Amino acid sequence: MVSQSFIGLGRAQQKALGSPDLPMALIPHPFGTRSRDELKEIAAKCADDIARLLCEAAPADASTAAAVAPVAPRATLIEAPADLAELNKFYIKKRWGDGLIIAPPTKESVERMLRHTHRAPDDVVATIAPGMGAATVEYIAIQGVMAGCYPEYLPVLIAVAEAVGTPAFHLQAIQSTTNPSAPWLIVNGPIAKWLEVNSGAGCLGPGTWANATLGRALRLMLLNIGGAWPGEMDKATQGQPAKYTFCCAENEEANPWEPLHVERGFSRDANTVTVVGALGTWSMNMTAKKAEEVLAMIADTMQYPASSDYIYGGAPFILLSPQHANLFHREGWSKAEVKRRLWEASKIRAGRSKGSEFERMATGRRAELGEIGPDTLVPISETAEDISIIVAGGPGSHSVFVPVSAHTRSVTKEIVLTEGNAQGKG
Amino acid sequence: MSSSILVYEPVAPCLTRPQKSRQALDNLAGKTIGFIDNSKPNFNYLVEDLSRVLMEKHGVKQIIKQRKRSASQGLSETLMNELVSQTDAIITGSGD
Repeated sequence: MVSQSFIGLGRAQQKALGSPDLPMALIPHPFGTRSRDELKEIAAKCADDIARLLCEAAPADASTAAAVAPVAPRATLIEAPADLAELNKFYIKKRWGDGLIIAPPTKESVERMLRHTHRAPDDVVATIAPGMGAATVEYIAIQGVMAGCYPEYLPVLIAVAEAVGTPAFHLQAIQSTTNPSAPWLIVNGPIAKWLEVNSGAGCLGPGTWANATLGRALRLMLLNIGGAWPGEMDKATQGQPAKYTFCCAENEEANPWEPLHVERGFSRDANTVTVVGALGTWSMNMTAKKAEEVLAMIADTMQYPASSDYIYGGAPFILLSPQHANLFHREGWSKAEVKRRLWEASKIRAGRSKGSEFERMATGRRAELGEIGPDTLVPISETAEDISIIVAGGPGSHSVFVPVSAHTRSVTKEIVLTEGNAQGKG
Repeated sequence: MSSSILVYEPVAPCLTRPQKSRQALDNLAGKTIGFIDNSKPNFNYLVEDLSRVLMEKHGVKQIIKQRKRSASQGLSETLMNELVSQTDAIITGSGD
């Protein structure tokens, strides 16, 4: 059963799951707001459709579809206008982009990028949900060129594709949800300096080539390889600006603790990229002399009952300014101690969630917390360790809370360099 | 085209995976139908109403329901295998 606004996504899923002839019964959209009487009417009609569809033979062409041979995953060169403005009109008309001007992915420009990996062009790095397109090295490079990436960024993009394709990241949910989920890239290790990925002032804003184009290349992968076109397979009700690009490096020099990749088992000189299914950025501003005051501010910000984190048990991120991180450190708190205190201080009464949100929370957290009543104290995540903390930004008293999309877990992958780009300048 | 260049088409193909043609039932009389409740608001009520109509009007013998923890998570493999072994057809939902 599919609500009418989700037909496109339903058809894509039929294909992606290998069952193009799976029958779909349609119900009106929106469905969750209907009264009990309306539901009875919908059920009466839908039951007839279900009875018919269950007893209906598959379309004759379904067996033909079953015999289709695997498609060779090499990209095709096509003729397009040489004039940049006309070329962009051509791409936009075909819906091959994100709405911003693209650089032409010519054979030469893609080959320049492919020199920065030992992997073969047709090597499949990941399949990108929900369309399950093949993210080959070549297709990744094409998106990188279109986004304006320098050729030496390719190893980062390959690691990004590996990360978003990891089951724990749950890209299917991130791509097709009505939530404004936007993958956030965090670069760690020496490569951040080599590639000049901004980790300091304005690191989530404009003005840095690497931040802008790396994040954008991922968006192009999600559109062109994953097929998540807004309003069709990407069901975001509004989306958010970070869906154009969302990338920074961790400010490791200003971080008084171990950086994210070291916390996750990589050596300090390893180069990694972490992907996070972010729902947005909430600025938290406080000029404080005591760590407790900053902690209380962050814990208060984390507590919004409609957050997926509270409903299902999440894995949110806190991006601390160097000023706040060093205040915690000066008072002798480790990163683990900050997480533990935040986890305790940010518990909410389940009763703050109303109606269907309370029901979803009661269902979503039952296995972990047992039967949930209005006075049950609900933590934002199953454990304090599920909260991640990084340090980024420049001078200032602002930190950022990043809630995370339901059931997604951030994934960190090592960036594999060739000898040619081992100095980051290939 | 007056002046043109060669560029790559950026849309990657979906690699064909094993296809499964559906098997139609001859009729619903005496059959067991499974529902995977996706836990979206109202879906549990729709399943309840559909179950009643399918049994009363179409002769379905039994309905077995499994409720997911959330819409974005799949049913566990254990519960899915259990449901497959108990039913003649399984229905789930997508959307809002």
